[in-house]
Amino acid sequence: MVEHKFIQSSGFRNVGPEGAREGFEVRIRLPNYRGMRMSLFDGVDVTVDGETFPYEQNLIRLRDQTFNLAELREAADVRWELFEWGTVVVRKPGGLTPGIHRIAVCARVRSPYFPPEFQPSFVRDERLGTIVLP
Amino acid sequence: MAGKFKYGVSLYSFTDDFGSVMNVEDGFDHVADTGATGIEILGETHVTGYPRPTTQWVDKWFQLLEKHKLEPTNMCSWVDTKLRLSRNLTVEEGAAELERDLNLAHLLGFKFLRPKFGVVTSDLVPDPIWEPAVERVLDLAHKYGIVICPEIHSPTPIKHPVVDAYIEFIERTGTKNFGLLIDTGIFQDRPLPFWPQETPEMRKTALAFLDGIKVNPEEFLDIAKYVVFVQAKFHKINDNLEDENIPWPKVISALKRAGYDGYLSSEYEGRRDPWVAIDQVRRQHVIIRQLEKDFDEGRLA
Repeated sequence: MVEHKFIQSSGFRNVGPEGAREGFEVRIRLPNYRGMRMSLFDGVDVTVDGETFPYEQNLIRLRDQTFNLAELREAADVRWELFEWGTVVVRKPGGLTPGIHRIAVCARVRSPYFPPEFQPSFVRDERLGTIVLP
Repeated sequence: MAGKFKYGVSLYSFTDDFGSVMNVEDGFDHVADTGATGIEILGETHVTGYPRPTTQWVDKWFQLLEKHKLEPTNMCSWVDTKLRLSRNLTVEEGAAELERDLNLAHLLGFKFLRPKFGVVTSDLVPDPIWEPAVERVLDLAHKYGIVICPEIHSPTPIKHPVVDAYIEFIERTGTKNFGLLIDTGIFQDRPLPFWPQETPEMRKTALAFLDGIKVNPEEFLDIAKYVVFVQAKFHKINDNLEDENIPWPKVISALKRAGYDGYLSSEYEGRRDPWVAIDQVRRQHVIIRQLEKDFDEGRLA
């Protein structure tokens, strides 16, 4: 099971070796009501404590596969299912300090059956999250 | 006397509950407890391992149908014509998407398949590949006894080139394996509350249809012979058992006078807070069942 909120509590953590963190990651549930092929997904903007990390630079990880934006847009053979969570990997040398942070995400989703003016459409959420380990 | 409706529920009604406070097995229980006989699903959402679920999953599916005395009605699918940003699907690829879903729908016992084609305009004109792609799979649909039925969904009204093109296709091919699915959201005659993140500016422009496109339910009679399935879309039924958006007495009267005897499959699309949808669907079943009874007993004309 996943949390009802789009941004999940667990999975918000620093990445890279301790003492030389390369960034952090945020766990999200599927930003859609249908399982979807990764190529319909167009990246995620992440904002932490007012600092925005744009979608073009963030990576998306599903299970054991990681995609940059160009790879994502062609990943028509990989499906993200309803009950799975995915991860946004953000580069930020030094990572985040342990404690509470305000996180906002904006997922960009292309739904071909929506009118052209909604390509992509945006799924947003905002919450407080806690980094445990430095 | 005209035929009787069949009552179903789409698991779409419980969107957002799934994955966090409800699993698919719970969904069967909530559908069956309304007294419904049919269950509708979204293939990509509710089938674990879509489009090729494991044998164990399929066995469980049939056990749940048996346990809850439900029959599979409609499986919703998508033909993602703009699957990649770089290019559109070809006709062959579009046909392959339909074939994939016909195979799965057949495996799970569905009789209707609703493909949602990608669109090329604001008023939802489908990508032109829909027609040759569908034509290529009509024989397969026939073999499986499945009717492919794109939905007529707000903001597309009944009197519209999209509907005309689907009807011309049915007339030209003479097929019994393609029909119309009507989403009752087209009859919505009062505004929806704002969705989260929706602004007044959006409501005035691109989302103006959420105020209701107010199709006259009488127009259903003009196209009834092509309609094979009805998704009973609704958004809010208040504590006085009043639907705040869909004019059910007019809709049910028109469906009955048209002789419609297929499914009314509930599709709740309102507030997505956990646990709201289950009772909303129950309320809707009270309303529509009562109206059918009123019509049959002469209290609704």
